[in-house]
Amino acid sequence: MRSIIAAFGMAVLALIGMGHASSPVPEVVATIGGEQVYQLLPVGAIPAIDDPGFVSGAEAELQMRADEPVLGVVIDGEARAYSLWQLDAHEIVNDEISGSAIAATW
Amino acid sequence: MVYARTLGGTKYTFQVSGRLWRNSLIMVDRETETSWSQITGRAIDGPHRGAQLEKLAAVETTWEDWRTAHPETKVLKKSKEVLSSHYQSYFDDPEKLGLFRAQWLEERMPGKTLVYGASIGPHAVAVTEGALVDEVVEATLGDTPVVLARARDGGVRAFVARAEGEILELGRNPKTGEVRDAGGSIWDLGSGRCISGPRSGSHLESVAVTPVYWFAWSGFYPNTQVIDR
Repeated sequence: MRSIIAAFGMAVLALIGMGHASSPVPEVVATIGGEQVYQLLPVGAIPAIDDPGFVSGAEAELQMRADEPVLGVVIDGEARAYSLWQLDAHEIVNDEISGSAIAATW
Repeated sequence: MVYARTLGGTKYTFQVSGRLWRNSLIMVDRETETSWSQITGRAIDGPHRGAQLEKLAAVETTWEDWRTAHPETKVLKKSKEVLSSHYQSYFDDPEKLGLFRAQWLEERMPGKTLVYGASIGPHAVAVTEGALVDEVVEATLGDTPVVLARARDGGVRAFVARAEGEILELGRNPKTGEVRDAGGSIWDLGSGRCISGPRSGSHLESVAVTPVYWFAWSGFYPNTQVIDR
């Protein structure tokens, strides 16, 4: 079951398959440390979530599958889970947990 | 990966830049338009260039394992039904290494090998899935002894293996799964807390773990140690 956990640790793939297949060839917009920076999509084309809403674990049963991969974090005893399938379309959640401002990224 | 999105007491909001560097996402903050590497949390361009976001301990696991270990968890609400990943075919294809072939491709392992990366400063280690089965993995990052292990919630976490200045030798009982140090204290490697024994109440310092494909990790840390089995 672990093998379904994607964990590519980056959201490269969200840049493909988002309906932008007909985009022009990626443009090199900079070189940093000798390596090219490619612009594939406009800034914000994949929308980060800035005002996340949450449900309880019991309520989440209605929206989650047992084997669904999640990004999980515990801060000051408060646990949060973010579905990675959901994050495919957003990649970043600007969140606050127990008063700490965090960015959950995929 | 989860980052603290504050720097010097100021809060920042991150968005997706649409740009890639070293085959991975660049995040950009709305306030200063600084570019940040998602893999390392380092500012690679813009006003904050050279600054480092604090990477927090977070895990990737399944909903089932997470909810069992954290029954009080909150869950990001879905505004619409999402029942699978867009990218399953990418995950399943060993030849697809990001969008562009990694320029620093390291041949020590196949590019698509999933590793758990941890780093302290320039020192890095990549631990394979196989090495973590039922084991506590020890590594040294610079001068710092570190242990990595899979916890009850399915997540892989890392901690500095030191309490009150002493290096801990931690081992997992293959039957009970209990993690014990040489002095008989029992540790929970989900939270880093000592749950019984002489060191009861002590807490290990956490080191963030990055679950990542080898081609991406080795692009950022070409000199990384590898622990495989």
